[in-house]
Amino acid sequence: MPVISFILLGSVVLLPAVALWALRWATAAGQFRCPDKAALLPFDESEPVGVETDLILGGNRR
Amino acid sequence: MSHQSQTPRSQTLRALLPGDVGAGSGGDVQTGGVQKAALAEIDASCRVPVLFFFLSGLGWLIAGSLLAIVASIKLHSPGFLGAWEWLGFANVRTAHLNTVIYGFASQVSVGVSLWLMCRLCRIPLPAPGLVTVANLFYNLGVTVGVVGILRGDSTAIEWLEMPRYATPILFVSYALIAVWTIVTFRLRAERHLYVSQWYLLAAVLWFPWLYGTAQVMLLLEPVRGVVQAAVNWWFAHNVLGLWFTPIGLASIYYFIPKVIGRPIHSYYLSVLGFWSLALFYNWNGMHHLVGGPLPAWMITISIVASVMMLIPVITVAINHHFTMLGHFGKMRQSPTLRFIVFGAVSYTLASLQGVASALRSVSEVTHFTHHTIAHAHLGMYAFFTMVMFGAMYYILPRITQREWPSNGLISLHFWGVALGIVLYVVPMSLMGFLQGTKLNDPTIRFLDVVQFTLPWLKLRTVAGLLLVVGHVAFVGNVAWLLVRMFEPYRKPVVRILTGEAETLAAGK
Amino acid sequence: MTMSYGPLLFLGILLTLASSWVGLVLMPHRQLGSLTQHTDTNTAAIFPAARAGEAQQGAEHYRSLGCVYCHTQQVRPEGYGSDLERGWGRRRTVSRDYIHDRTVMLGTMRTGPDLTNIGERQSDAAWHYRHLYNPQITSPGSIMPPHAFLFETRAIGPSGRSTNALVLEGAFAPPAGTEVVPTRRAEQLVAYLRSLKSSGDLPEAPVKKEEAK
Repeated sequence: MPVISFILLGSVVLLPAVALWALRWATAAGQFRCPDKAALLPFDESEPVGVETDLILGGNRR
Repeated sequence: MSHQSQTPRSQTLRALLPGDVGAGSGGDVQTGGVQKAALAEIDASCRVPVLFFFLSGLGWLIAGSLLAIVASIKLHSPGFLGAWEWLGFANVRTAHLNTVIYGFASQVSVGVSLWLMCRLCRIPLPAPGLVTVANLFYNLGVTVGVVGILRGDSTAIEWLEMPRYATPILFVSYALIAVWTIVTFRLRAERHLYVSQWYLLAAVLWFPWLYGTAQVMLLLEPVRGVVQAAVNWWFAHNVLGLWFTPIGLASIYYFIPKVIGRPIHSYYLSVLGFWSLALFYNWNGMHHLVGGPLPAWMITISIVASVMMLIPVITVAINHHFTMLGHFGKMRQSPTLRFIVFGAVSYTLASLQGVASALRSVSEVTHFTHHTIAHAHLGMYAFFTMVMFGAMYYILPRITQREWPSNGLISLHFWGVALGIVLYVVPMSLMGFLQGTKLNDPTIRFLDVVQFTLPWLKLRTVAGLLLVVGHVAFVGNVAWLLVRMFEPYRKPVVRILTGEAETLAAGK
Repeated sequence: MTMSYGPLLFLGILLTLASSWVGLVLMPHRQLGSLTQHTDTNTAAIFPAARAGEAQQGAEHYRSLGCVYCHTQQVRPEGYGSDLERGWGRRRTVSRDYIHDRTVMLGTMRTGPDLTNIGERQSDAAWHYRHLYNPQITSPGSIMPPHAFLFETRAIGPSGRSTNALVLEGAFAPPAGTEVVPTRRAEQLVAYLRSLKSSGDLPEAPVKKEEAK
């Protein structure tokens, strides 16, 4: 039983610590600096923002 | 964002890329030495392996749907096909689950995931032949597994029924695919990560661990007693949460912005959603054992984690809703958007239903009833499968360079499966709840509860038939598309491939 | 941004799963993997009793036939559901009840009733044979599939009906001059079903004395 308690206690301390470290690292690395820029990643020069793709059926337009 | 020169990519790995892409000497600093490939080039590189995964997946979908119909009929008419032992209810039901999960859903996931990864990494798929070979082995594994189940070799461990002689084949080909996804990621030309890649990477790293642990602890060196149940549900719930859900969400995060030409509402929220899912989902599994013979602390932890799932779910729902705001009308024109939005909405509903049925008071009623079956189909079908259909509508024309041959079949597919799954999930959820209430009332005879479920089970067969109609329509359209691939060159209709819906409509 | 995201993602992704792997897989294994039988100090009775070879074979048929998809083997505690009121057990089941099971088949569906104590509730082997042969004989209105393939229909020999032939009447009777006898599989399966009893007094799950008769 003590072993289990140690594992439990250890993981309870360790995991949030790692999570915090990851968050700090990500912030320092600029991952959150330009979230808008990351949001643009699916787009490129040939299909930039504003170009709709896949509208192939009839339907009412605009 | 100042990009300094990156760690040099491994030359051995880079050699896998087509010459002009991998050369790197002309690559600008921004891309870390590898030039970004054009979309058409990326699509073309994925053609063979992704087609293999999609087509074999669809083959299993048809097989799985037929097995589902047989199982459904057997539940209200137990004598149906009763003479053949190998077609017994449990065999057919189990073969259905394993064909649609491992044969269909997982294979289509891999196809979508590889294509998405290449597109977001901006490189062609390295060594596509290797992936194709992995696909052939994977299908061999599924075939051996399903035949084993029908022969009566099922392990009777839910979601892991494939016998021991089939699973290593699956594991090895799966590991190969996972490694290849990571190799593709390492070679990426776009250094920045989109949220879809987070999900995809997580999925390919989580699944082999889940599957490996479950195989070792349940089949190779079985643990004693109810620990088996703990491992079983840790695995079975995580297959949904850490394999299918991330791939479904990765697709939603990519396809909605691509179709409507508008970035995701809040990238920040999407990252929050990812990490909260990663933290909470994997603790959920024990809510399948509420009231069972396991220590209370385990079950309580899972109930708490299940409730915490509200954070990622609501985050994702808000984000998708605000991205789509003002663009819902486009669902009429884009089959991809239509299926994906249906799936995204179902994700929210399925998750909320999941949270609710994890609570002790609700579980007391719904636990051993058809409510759980309805919930599983809301998650796996109304959410995940619909998203995969949407993704295939986008990917297939692009990798084959052919347009969808029939708009009518697209509509038939959508309405067949949309009505079918609503007709499945809504009545079955309600029926399960009533069934549970009756089971908990000891004054009602057990056989009377059984009789109560019969009309609902017949309705379920009807719903299942609607789904089959939709599947046949889709497979027909895909087959037609393939026929077109082999036709002599014909001036391509440019609707999808250049995104010029307007021009075509105007010309007609 | 001077570093690759790779290691961070890799670490984070694996650590999150590691947490539940430790919590929900390793820890239960440590806590429950070494449970042993309990010997009652007054009666010297040992619970749960080990299963005889015949019944152990039957458990494999129970697994192979997929009985677990419609029948649970777990009794929920008092005040939670109506398992006890329905007579499916005299106490809740606990981890120790399952230490002899090669595959633990708790089940998740109650399309059919719970079978934790079916050996106690229905100890008559003839009932089980007839029920398996065609559930409508013993339980009209059941949706359990008939398991006639576990039986052999054969001509009645010169020495008359076999002693183990099923007593079947009316619409269920085999053609004249033939009889239905259980195969080896059916015998083992029924031995297993009759061995299913989890009502021994355990310190962590005592049987309520007034209910224990």
